[in-house]
Amino acid sequence: MPPWVDFEPFIVSGLALGGVYALSGVGLVVLYRATGVLYLAFGAIGALGALIAWSLTTRAGAPGWAGWLVCVAVAGAVTLGYGLLFGPALARRDPLIKAVATIGLTLILYGVMDLLWTTSGGQARSLTLPTDNGGFTVAQIQVTWTQVIALAAGVVLTVGTGTFLRFTKLGTAMRAMANDRDITATLGVPVRRVEAAAWLGCGILGGIAGLLLADLVALDATTLTFLVISSLAAVLIARLRSITVTFVAAIVIGLLHDLLTPIASLTSYRDMTPFVIAAIGLLVLSRHQVMTQSREEA
Amino acid sequence: MSGTVRATLERASPARIARRPTRPQLIKASVTTVLLLFAFFALPELLSLYYIDTMTQVAVYSMVTLALGLLVGRVGLFSLGQAAVLAIGAWAAARLLFATTQPYPLVLLEAGLITMVAGLLIGLPALRLRGLYLALITLMLAGSITVVLATVNFPNGGHGFLGYNGGLLHIPPIRRPSIAASDPAYYRFSVVIAIVMFALVLAHIKTKPGRAWAAIRQSEPAALAAGINIWFYKLWAFALASFITGVAGGVLAGAIHYLYSINFPTQDSITLLAVTLMGGVFSLWGAVVAGLLYQFLPALLNNWGVSADWLIILFGLGVLQVLTTAPAGLADQVPRDLRRLGHLLGTRIRRFRRGPGGDGA
Repeated sequence: MPPWVDFEPFIVSGLALGGVYALSGVGLVVLYRATGVLYLAFGAIGALGALIAWSLTTRAGAPGWAGWLVCVAVAGAVTLGYGLLFGPALARRDPLIKAVATIGLTLILYGVMDLLWTTSGGQARSLTLPTDNGGFTVAQIQVTWTQVIALAAGVVLTVGTGTFLRFTKLGTAMRAMANDRDITATLGVPVRRVEAAAWLGCGILGGIAGLLLADLVALDATTLTFLVISSLAAVLIARLRSITVTFVAAIVIGLLHDLLTPIASLTSYRDMTPFVIAAIGLLVLSRHQVMTQSREEA
Repeated sequence: MSGTVRATLERASPARIARRPTRPQLIKASVTTVLLLFAFFALPELLSLYYIDTMTQVAVYSMVTLALGLLVGRVGLFSLGQAAVLAIGAWAAARLLFATTQPYPLVLLEAGLITMVAGLLIGLPALRLRGLYLALITLMLAGSITVVLATVNFPNGGHGFLGYNGGLLHIPPIRRPSIAASDPAYYRFSVVIAIVMFALVLAHIKTKPGRAWAAIRQSEPAALAAGINIWFYKLWAFALASFITGVAGGVLAGAIHYLYSINFPTQDSITLLAVTLMGGVFSLWGAVVAGLLYQFLPALLNNWGVSADWLIILFGLGVLQVLTTAPAGLADQVPRDLRRLGHLLGTRIRRFRRGPGGDGA
């Protein structure tokens, strides 16, 4: 077991990673609750946004903030477009089919990205935020502002989304739709518009997550697209319902993942962390099996 | 009620309804036979080595999509971890081929059984989940297996349980059966194995397990009420699918000679599900179509100098199209569309013959 000092820097990076996982997880849960869609293209839209931002800033010489805005806008627009196009067509199918359909979108985006920003060339891209350079030291641990932003974004968005769902009219409508779409429609809620809002919100979160992950992890279509699998773990532990549980699980996963790095015997297995935690969590949670016939669980 | 449903299930057995094959059945059987004979005898003579190797891969991946199609189409279990199961099969086969001098078919059987046990160990707890959760947990497990494989590596003739030696300068190739050492012969060998696997699935579908799976897919509570042991039959489907995928992994090991963990990324499981859905999960032909989509099309595009990324985009569009408009996939859609086209052309021609005046707007 390495000394404690070796672990210290990984607490910070783990918290930052956990923050981004939390941010992604919250986006996924909100969309799932409002529309019943588990959005597996979440990573792909973030990657697309980040790659466009990279092209804009490094190739076209656009200022950094324009790139970030475009990243978030592209992610939001693609998600909204998909939601408007395929949301209604699949609204009555079961959640599994809706989720698999987003795999279709993932593959399309992944193909496009690999075509336009070829990865096999060996040239590594990177997207650096100005917050990388600044930072401060806590108990001899170097902390960059990006890491602070990542964790803060996770916290703020979890709290913000929770408040939004609880206290605003739109949030209430989303919660109502999570319970029963038909009854909500009967009560006069503009179901399609609420769904569109959820899609857009989820897309914007995807863009932010993509931007942060491109900086914290790597700017690479494959990595970013399939990193969503790791943030799915937190969502799964929350059984696609609770935002709070998603947040806690995401932080735990991020921390554990990075804290395993200095342990020599486990370091090459650390990428398994989200999967193992999700598998254990799901299996423990599903101890009491109930046979339901409701549309949500079918 | 249970008795009625059960009686219906028993009666639904095609063997009892029609002992003598009907005309469409005969046509179907003869077309299948001709195609199989063509694939076995003529194809290796006609194709270049590049395409023979490609067709071997098609045979391998047809088995994988057959197994996945069985789970998705017959039982309603979506697995997002099939590439990982294939990797387990390939690993087990490679380990056995390096360690022993057993005949190849025996190794395939053993690799299939080992994969089956692994699949059961995964399936036992996972099958308590349903639908979306089951699909996602298979994705999680596939992710874990990929990470483990990246660390332990595939056997390359080294010693010890893992059979991997990172310091080997000359890595021996994974052997092939002595009767099928050349590429065309190995292609024929893999076609035979694939036929056996398809026959195995057909035998299941036409008998009691197939009917039980159909009942489970329709409605689990109804199947339970009809006295079907849901848990047992689901596990059976999982075991069968793992076995077939394991055998396919064994065939793959001999086909490509050298295995690397980088060949089995998690995203392959996702693409595999996409092509399986596109091919069609309700027909065994769907698996062949899916195998062609997954291996033949990329080889063709590669030969033409077109990027394989276009194919990924096509697969994505295909998944969306299958899920929104054509649930039975290409295997169902193409013949139906062709028939409709033929019908349309037929009426047009007849109308035309009757006289140009008969042709309306």
